[in-house]
Amino acid sequence: MKISSADKLYSHFTFVMLILISMITLFPIYMALINSLKPDGKILSDIMALPANPLFSNYATAFEKTRFARSFLNTLVVLTTGLAGIIYLSSMAGYKLSRSKGKLSSFFFFLFVMSMIIPFHSIMITLTKVARVTGVQGSAFGLGLIYTGLGVPMAVFLYHGFVKSIPMELDEAALMDGCGEFRYFFSIIMPLIMPITATVAILNTLWMWNDFLLPLLMLTDSDNYTILLSTNMLFGQYNNNDWSAILATLILAMMPVMIFYFTLQKYITRGIADGAIKG
Amino acid sequence: MNIRKSFRETVKLLAFVLPAFAFYSLFVLVPAFGGFYYSLTDWNALNRTHNFVGLSNYIEAFTEDPYFIKSIWFTLKFVLYMVVLQNVLALFLALLIENRKRTKTWFRTIFFMPNMISMIIAGFMWLFIFTRVLPKIEILNRTWIGDPRLSFFAILIVSLWAGVGYLMIIYIAAIQSIPGHLIEAALIDGAKRMALLRYVKLPMILPAVTIGLFLSLNSSFKVFEAVYALTGGGPGRATQVIALNIFEEAFNMSNRFGYASAKAIILFFIVAMITFIQLKIMKNREVQA
Repeated sequence: MKISSADKLYSHFTFVMLILISMITLFPIYMALINSLKPDGKILSDIMALPANPLFSNYATAFEKTRFARSFLNTLVVLTTGLAGIIYLSSMAGYKLSRSKGKLSSFFFFLFVMSMIIPFHSIMITLTKVARVTGVQGSAFGLGLIYTGLGVPMAVFLYHGFVKSIPMELDEAALMDGCGEFRYFFSIIMPLIMPITATVAILNTLWMWNDFLLPLLMLTDSDNYTILLSTNMLFGQYNNNDWSAILATLILAMMPVMIFYFTLQKYITRGIADGAIKG
Repeated sequence: MNIRKSFRETVKLLAFVLPAFAFYSLFVLVPAFGGFYYSLTDWNALNRTHNFVGLSNYIEAFTEDPYFIKSIWFTLKFVLYMVVLQNVLALFLALLIENRKRTKTWFRTIFFMPNMISMIIAGFMWLFIFTRVLPKIEILNRTWIGDPRLSFFAILIVSLWAGVGYLMIIYIAAIQSIPGHLIEAALIDGAKRMALLRYVKLPMILPAVTIGLFLSLNSSFKVFEAVYALTGGGPGRATQVIALNIFEEAFNMSNRFGYASAKAIILFFIVAMITFIQLKIMKNREVQA
């Protein structure tokens, strides 16, 4: 098809728009980045300027004050526990609920799905009590277990939808040959549902990594703080005066998830789209 | 034989489902139903025992708690702005991007990037922008934080900045799934760009709009971190959203868990009701389209 001059003009116009919006989008991150490399006094006088000689000591301070290595490790414990729990339990439940057609099965499925509209803030108060009584409060591992409970509904729903696309004949053939149900699930179904497992893993990683309120309620000892909690604590200490140190902390805290994003970008955006349409 | 077979099926079902259900019950259902029960009591963090007080917490929340009522209105106002702007901007960006061939991935990456950053980090970062950077720019030199009217927009800006990319991804996916032959047919019929958008693209992505509205409704009712980081609910309590009001009531101010639970249940009913109405309306529209 021939490209008219109006089309060309439109194309140029949209390009300029997109560049402008991109600049606005990136502006806060850019400002945080350049100012995190300046000595504190410079921030107020030359806020827009590039740092004359980049100063990395702010990062050293941030790394030390947030006990970054430790917070990072705590965050990883939360993530691993939560992911393992969610994937393992939800895939089993989602598969079985998708395959059995009885009343009991529909009832369970309904209970899982129903809860997806419960706002977290509606359950957080009693959740702290449950966490205290069950003894999961206060540790990164315990926090991972709570995330398992909270993350299960959405994951069950995703698995439930995905398993439908796997032909039932496969089940029949395998079970006819005398394959046990559990063995069938773990050695045949599990590998087949890998695509949705990837989506579940990505969505839940981002959620757990970026969630602030639940760790704030559950972790009281700074030894168990996640990265976000350490950042928050540091922010409170500086009482938003020493911006150069705070900005370095913020950049440091967003680094891991940025690396995650740029490595897995394609899968993340696909996962979001799949998760939303099926969710 | 039949009974035994169905019994075995039930056992198998339970073996697969109960582990997930146990965690889910413990950390979602028990707190949810427990919260409902405690909302009818005078449970306090300080006392070991609690008394049943009926609906008095609910009555108090609606009649003697001006800050709670204010937080509901403030949240509703925020939700309204957020739902409209987030969806309009996301759709706008999606439509701008989908025509680009080589630069598509670039722009998508950039616009989605803020969504990767935790809201608490984003809130602190924007606090720097509002309190230190914008004052250096003549036309933007305002008291963004501290003036109740402007802090509303500060919270809105941060939430949009972080949230638009998410819906944009969903809209891009929806636009891409429109069958190519529909577009071609319209073009052959001589449809101009606006007509193509109005009569082909928009009707075809209505299901995604339903999802978009649902997601932004749900997430904006839960706004917490942006407010926590930017204003802490202030000045005074001018920017206190429902979630923050509940949080403060339970964990910072009075420790009246029973009373805060009543507020939490009210939040649940507001969200459930509005979500239900929205889905109902949108589903009807989709059928017509």
